[in-house]
Amino acid sequence: MDSIGAVAERRPLLRHRLSQAARSDRRAYLFLLPWFAGFFGLTAGPTLASLYLSFTNFDLVQSPRWIGAANYIRIATSDVNFGAAMKVTFLYVALAVPLKLAFALAVAMALNKGIKGLPLYRAIFYLPSLLGASVAIAVLWRTLFSGDGLVNKVLALVGIHGPSWISDPDYAIYTLVLLSIWQFGSPMIIFLAGLRQIPRDVYEAASLEGASRWRQFRRITLPLLTPVVFFNAIVQTIDAFKAFTPAFIISEGTGGPVRATLFYTLYLYLEAFAYFRMGYAAALAWILVIIIALFTAFSFLTARYWVHYDE
Amino acid sequence: MSDAVAQRLAMQRAAPPRWRALASHAALSAASLVMLYPLLWMLASSFKPENEIFGSISLWPSHFDTGAYLRGWTGLKINFGHFFWNSLIISLLCVVGNVVSCSLTAFAFARLRFRGKNFWFALMLGTLMLPYHVTLIPQYILFLNLDWVDTILPLVVPKYLATDAFFIFLMVQFFRGIPRELDEAAMMDGCSPWRIYRKIILPLSLPVLATAAIFTFIFTWDDFFAPLVYLNDMGSYTVQLGLRAFVDSSGKSDWGALFAMSVLALVPILFFFLFFQRLLIEGVATTGLKR
Amino acid sequence: MARHLVGRRKLLTAGLGGLALASAGFPAFAPARAEDKRLRMFWWGAKDRADRTFKVNALYAAHNPGVTIDGETLGWGDYWPRLATQTAGRNAPDILQMDYRYIFEYARRGALLPLDEYMPSLLNIADFGKDAIDSGRVDGKVYGVSLGLNSTALLYSKTAFEAAGLKPPTVETSWADYAALFAELTKATKKEGFWGSADGGGSETALEVWLRQHGKALYDKDGKLGFGAAEAAEWLALWDDMRKRKACVPADVQALDRGSYDSSMIALGKAATAFEHSNLLVTFQTLTKDKLAMTMYPQGGSGAKPGQYLKPSQMLSVYARTKFAPEAARIVNFFVEDPEAAKILSVERGVPASAMMRKLITPELNELDQQSIVYISMVSERVGPLPAPPPNGAGEIQRTLRRVNEEVGFARQTPSAAGKQFVDEAKSILERG
Repeated sequence: MDSIGAVAERRPLLRHRLSQAARSDRRAYLFLLPWFAGFFGLTAGPTLASLYLSFTNFDLVQSPRWIGAANYIRIATSDVNFGAAMKVTFLYVALAVPLKLAFALAVAMALNKGIKGLPLYRAIFYLPSLLGASVAIAVLWRTLFSGDGLVNKVLALVGIHGPSWISDPDYAIYTLVLLSIWQFGSPMIIFLAGLRQIPRDVYEAASLEGASRWRQFRRITLPLLTPVVFFNAIVQTIDAFKAFTPAFIISEGTGGPVRATLFYTLYLYLEAFAYFRMGYAAALAWILVIIIALFTAFSFLTARYWVHYDE
Repeated sequence: MSDAVAQRLAMQRAAPPRWRALASHAALSAASLVMLYPLLWMLASSFKPENEIFGSISLWPSHFDTGAYLRGWTGLKINFGHFFWNSLIISLLCVVGNVVSCSLTAFAFARLRFRGKNFWFALMLGTLMLPYHVTLIPQYILFLNLDWVDTILPLVVPKYLATDAFFIFLMVQFFRGIPRELDEAAMMDGCSPWRIYRKIILPLSLPVLATAAIFTFIFTWDDFFAPLVYLNDMGSYTVQLGLRAFVDSSGKSDWGALFAMSVLALVPILFFFLFFQRLLIEGVATTGLKR
Repeated sequence: MARHLVGRRKLLTAGLGGLALASAGFPAFAPARAEDKRLRMFWWGAKDRADRTFKVNALYAAHNPGVTIDGETLGWGDYWPRLATQTAGRNAPDILQMDYRYIFEYARRGALLPLDEYMPSLLNIADFGKDAIDSGRVDGKVYGVSLGLNSTALLYSKTAFEAAGLKPPTVETSWADYAALFAELTKATKKEGFWGSADGGGSETALEVWLRQHGKALYDKDGKLGFGAAEAAEWLALWDDMRKRKACVPADVQALDRGSYDSSMIALGKAATAFEHSNLLVTFQTLTKDKLAMTMYPQGGSGAKPGQYLKPSQMLSVYARTKFAPEAARIVNFFVEDPEAAKILSVERGVPASAMMRKLITPELNELDQQSIVYISMVSERVGPLPAPPPNGAGEIQRTLRRVNEEVGFARQTPSAAGKQFVDEAKSILERG
């Protein structure tokens, strides 16, 4: 009796809930309309096409020829460049991402204070990022980091005889890491925007209670900034895995010296456009997607322990 | 402790002593120099005689030669100003598209409840992960079938359809930082999601919207691969494509003109940045929320 | 006529309300509606070449009412991805500039139009001579028309030799002489950070010349590797020895050269030579204050075969799916056989293959340009036959050579081990195609 009564009672509630869910679905999808149009109209097709191409032999001119998993098998078993490119890329991600983020956060904090001339400093610090990956950067990096470049001239003043950083296979990758750190403007601006959204009164309250600067940072700034830190970490990691232009510009597509700057996407690009193996390049790309997706999924899993949303 | 004393103490702590401000300036100026050196070098190179550009790290040309600017501006078949105009149009259109479409999408992901949310969100993030080199050709064929090649449509229309997952994700993170009590209260008052989006979320998100605007402008301005593939006619070249017309690794290049125009190409993005970063700051005033 | 991207007024009315985009008519984007023939031409090169080419296109249009040639131009590095993309989209330009390396890749995959059926009616290049015509042949058919004759050339700094009081290399200099001469130049120059020669060990053209002098080839006529591990090892050892004798730059200096001319050793002031092609003398001269001259690559010594050969610096090809094949052939003909066009183009793309055009333009050339004509006619008597076309995968092998030479230079491998590895890798690349 009791249970029947409960069901009878629950039914209209359920229907009500369902219709409410449907209504909120409809509302949300209305907001998502442009995105759905873009996703299904522009993104999904080419993405699926590239997945299909990864199972073919496609030389860009003749029609693609289905070859099953042969591309993937070759990558897994006999591709020496794949291993080299993986090593370079992982090293780059492991170094460039944390350093760039730490630097960007530190500068953003420094620039978030009431110092005179802030807009100017902000613009100056952002300038290198504005330059993007222009040819000028390639020429500049060479003049800075070659054997008799500016860096070594400065080092010579303190008695250090530096190598030719940019053209030595042992060091070349670090000049690219440095380039990435130097162009820290984007995450810095995002950190700044994040800092701007932290309401002042929170600090005022903390100040009154006599909190030290470090304590303020640890207890207020950092927790409130975690969504932005999380964003920057994810996006920078994805970007670093996909890094193409720095190596392409600096090494002019050679990936040299030896294989020291053969970034994964540079290798993929060479396969696709220099050696006419678009099918193979597509397979390489999808393996990269899987690796990045694993990283990202892992980050989202850990996020619940350290990212604080106001919810 | 009386209120007045507490206030004075707080003020002392808030206003840093003079030496501290000086030290900050010194550190920031020194850092600025490192950041600026490349730009100064580029500026110097644009005034150097051609054969002095390479192998010299000097910031001072042996004699000033402004010829590069003239050669750069008028040297190509089409006046360089034309490229600036093209880049400006494309970039501005992209800014509007990205800010509008990505904020709509981000609002749905950050604030609305709907079935399949996690699934779509994961897909959206997934689009960030695929290197564009392998979707380039299918996409080209798609736009070719739409008869959009050799127009700016392939560069601009996608921005109106929220294809830039970077910005969606960015905005989602910021929208989630806005206190929920605000829209819950509004919801109680019978506000529609649209009104919440317009009246609460957008006004409180000026910093992130400004960020998105700045980035879109700069990314579009600096982008060169999409214009490379989709704009064939020199009359529709962007600045980045125009710049590369001076240098050819297989023939005679005009490096001076390249550096001169590279310097000029920085000017619009710098202005855009300086203008919009004011919004970054104004954001503070409007975000003075009570929690 | 340059099409404008967007009419300015139109844009103002359209405003920034992006949605207007879809509805607002953008007349500038509409394809040409007129009945006239509108052809697209695509080439790589910098400003100077663009100026000349646009001028010739305009001239052709003036002579042929109803025909318009839309020129598209990019630098070498950007040219190939765009061409590949357009070809994949079956939207390649009607007339395109081709490189000797890529013509086989494109022609064999069916992207280019054989021009034999228009010869000589529309395309009359009989005065090129057999060799120059054949240089555009792939598997028996003509797919490319030479825009300029070219041969490998050792560019060197006259200034450096004068300063050191040494005699520059000549067409008699052997590889052994070369090593000795440049070791001496390094010593005599006494400048820190300067070595006599650039490191040519990673240069495919240098290796090819050396192999041919030894009676071998880079690739045989079946597209197989034309040499073995022993030759590769000997070549790598030759350069390793020069590095040790300080005749050429060390590996970490050579690695600054990324393949672009501005990063070449001679442009950076690190060495006095460049293993290049004869049409590049003018280009390199703009990159250095030194006075440059050129001679042939070192010789194989007595009894050796000629190593060098004449090849097209670049060619014009016609897209297989063009709608205007006869017109395209006529335009190609205009570029290589019309006196007015020849005067405009001059030797910017290399010495004209047409004997008539060459004679016509020679008197008007400046000293530097004259040098390349003199060089080509001098070399003509010392060259061997055109080698068999490079097989698919040649581009990857070229990069592999560079890497292997670096591995020897950085002492990661001995020349003999590296030689064997190079041959193994090259073979597996060729198998893959």
